[in-house]
Amino acid sequence: MERDILHSAFILHRRPYSNTSLLLELFTPRLGRLPALAKGVLGGKRNNSAALQPFQPLLVRLAGRGEVRVLAVGEADGEALPLKARGLYCGFYLNELLMRLLGRDDPHPRLYQHYFEALGALSRGIDELEPVLRRFEIALLRELGYQPEFDRLADGSAPDPQGRYAYRLEEGLAPAQLHDPGAVSGRTLQALCGEVDFGDHERREARRLMRGILSHYLGGRPLKSRELFQSRIGNK
Amino acid sequence: MAERPLLGQLIDALKCLPGVGPKSAQRMAFHLLERDREGGRKLARVLDEAMERVGHCNMCRTLTEAELCRLCSNPKRDPATLCVVETPADVMAVEQAAGYRGLYFVLNGRLSPIDGVGPRELGLDLLERRLADGKVEEVILATNTTVEGEATAHYISEMAHASKVRVTRIAYGIPLGGELGYVDGGTLSHAIAGRREM
Repeated sequence: MERDILHSAFILHRRPYSNTSLLLELFTPRLGRLPALAKGVLGGKRNNSAALQPFQPLLVRLAGRGEVRVLAVGEADGEALPLKARGLYCGFYLNELLMRLLGRDDPHPRLYQHYFEALGALSRGIDELEPVLRRFEIALLRELGYQPEFDRLADGSAPDPQGRYAYRLEEGLAPAQLHDPGAVSGRTLQALCGEVDFGDHERREARRLMRGILSHYLGGRPLKSRELFQSRIGNK
Repeated sequence: MAERPLLGQLIDALKCLPGVGPKSAQRMAFHLLERDREGGRKLARVLDEAMERVGHCNMCRTLTEAELCRLCSNPKRDPATLCVVETPADVMAVEQAAGYRGLYFVLNGRLSPIDGVGPRELGLDLLERRLADGKVEEVILATNTTVEGEATAHYISEMAHASKVRVTRIAYGIPLGGELGYVDGGTLSHAIAGRREM
């Protein structure tokens, strides 16, 4: 029976519900994203709000048949991923992406794996935050069926590392017009495919490219977690 | 259409209190009406006045009916230390417990992008100006030990570093009288990492 299965899960978001309960948004490999109610976990005898935090791998057992399940068991499955400082902002960013782009009850086991790996990479080091985010963004778009292709042009030919290219939604890459402000270099495309490492220049271009693509699917309302990065960078 | 009976309205209104369901609301209403009308009147007066007049302190943004709260206007408090907390209830908790003599800054929330709360919504520019004016020498970050609380603490620490203000974070650890076997793994690993020389 479904209620006897233990699922791996991460909490994407939690908020207080009535006095001592939490309303969780879970991300699981086999059920996708779904809401669940953790009853009586703040204070009192069943207090395990410490385990029920984002970025903590969990094992959960779910009960109930409604849209909002009830968390029958929720235990830590290993240590929480120690996200610090900007890594923590990046973690919020990933969670917000999933909350905004992934529909409920739409399972994507591979995406879960990508998410797990991305959190692991974010918790390890501060230097390589951005490439981790770009890889996850691409994995997310692929899983959702949007298929952004960066290793070949719309006409099927391979991009030249020295060339400049523009990305058109639903079409793909094409050689850029002269002075196209949205154009990126062939080397940035290679970096996005994981063929070469990101330099500063590629990082900037890749960020701009992915932001443009994502904003289309996000429907205009920008991601809030970006503000955490922006305002501080201005003051540094 | 006839007005609903006052008794029903009262019971309904009482249900807005946390932890009060229909049954308790009914008990409260009957208690006030049958046994303690004076107490009920006093409650009504104070409640009405508090709802009208209590606002936020201009300095620390805790709840008060004055321009400046009692703590901010007290000359005996040390203006060089500033304790940053999430809610006015946290101010009260620290006041009652800690023998803390500095001032406070109440965020009235925490950074939580998914809930739409960013730096601007928290009014962190106000805190930034306060840190920049040079009176504060140490900021104690007493936000909750949730991931949102940690992110908020980190964000403010960057602000404070930019203003050359010393930043400290409240310690994590084992509750007093606690037994290690019952403490969750996360707390325990923080407690070990933050151990102190004896």
